[in-house]
Amino acid sequence: MSDAESLDGMSTVEVRTSATAALIPTIRAVASDLAARADFDLDAISDLRMAVDEACATLVDAADPTSVLQCRFLVRPERIRVHAEVESAKPDTVLSTDTFGWRVLQTLADDVEVLHKAAADGRPATVAIRLDKSAGDVPR
Amino acid sequence: MSDAAAPDPFGVGLPLDTEVSRPRPGTVLLEVDGEIDTATAPRLQARLNEALDAADDEGSRVVVDLTGVTFLASSGLAVLIGGARRMTALGGRLRLVAASRSVTRPLQVTGADALFDTFDDVASALATEAKGAGATATAPPPGVAPPTGGVGR
Repeated sequence: MSDAESLDGMSTVEVRTSATAALIPTIRAVASDLAARADFDLDAISDLRMAVDEACATLVDAADPTSVLQCRFLVRPERIRVHAEVESAKPDTVLSTDTFGWRVLQTLADDVEVLHKAAADGRPATVAIRLDKSAGDVPR
Repeated sequence: MSDAAAPDPFGVGLPLDTEVSRPRPGTVLLEVDGEIDTATAPRLQARLNEALDAADDEGSRVVVDLTGVTFLASSGLAVLIGGARRMTALGGRLRLVAASRSVTRPLQVTGADALFDTFDDVASALATEAKGAGATATAPPPGVAPPTGGVGR
């Protein structure tokens, strides 16, 4: 089972927007709110907000202009997993990870991964970023 | 005007207010309020370039007041890092006023804070004489390597 495919009855929140940079502030506000409610420490809240912003900004750059930006937050004990996805601008779009923004994202998140999915069964090609962030360094 | 022709209400992103002033001779102050992300970073870039042009022409010091900044993304960091490089090339250090976690955390976590002289409030940034030059001016940040092209030299 993939986290991205199921709503499993746990605390899961999904936000869908047009894939435009102008709406990313809304998504990162949701990230920040969820982290605060999940009792993340203040640095971890700041880091998650920034990581989600980076991930979404990277995806918007690679997205088809008519695409939806789908951002799913899986709130788990002591951590939040984020799965953000867009339809690729081109079938062979590959996310560039040789950027300052990507290095910042790697620094902010505990784990981050790019997922490319080719077009199939009439569905367009997609590109996604999955990232994990834990609640903080201090054990609770 | 029809709905179809109406401008996208979010088309310009969140507001980013910038104001350049000269609180004392030889000092250019760039005050920034709002959120700095991919949508607003170009505006920061434009105003910072103006301030640095003045520093270049007149030998002024440049203070960037980020007290009112509530979000700072890597795109904004890249602009500030480019500004720090240009200021260093002019023989100075870019001064930042950074009080809130929204600004200090991104600087810290990326190691970019090593590139600036950072102050808690505008008054200290304006009052303080130049720190010992050179010692830390060329030290690379210990964290994430800053961009090497495009935003400065």
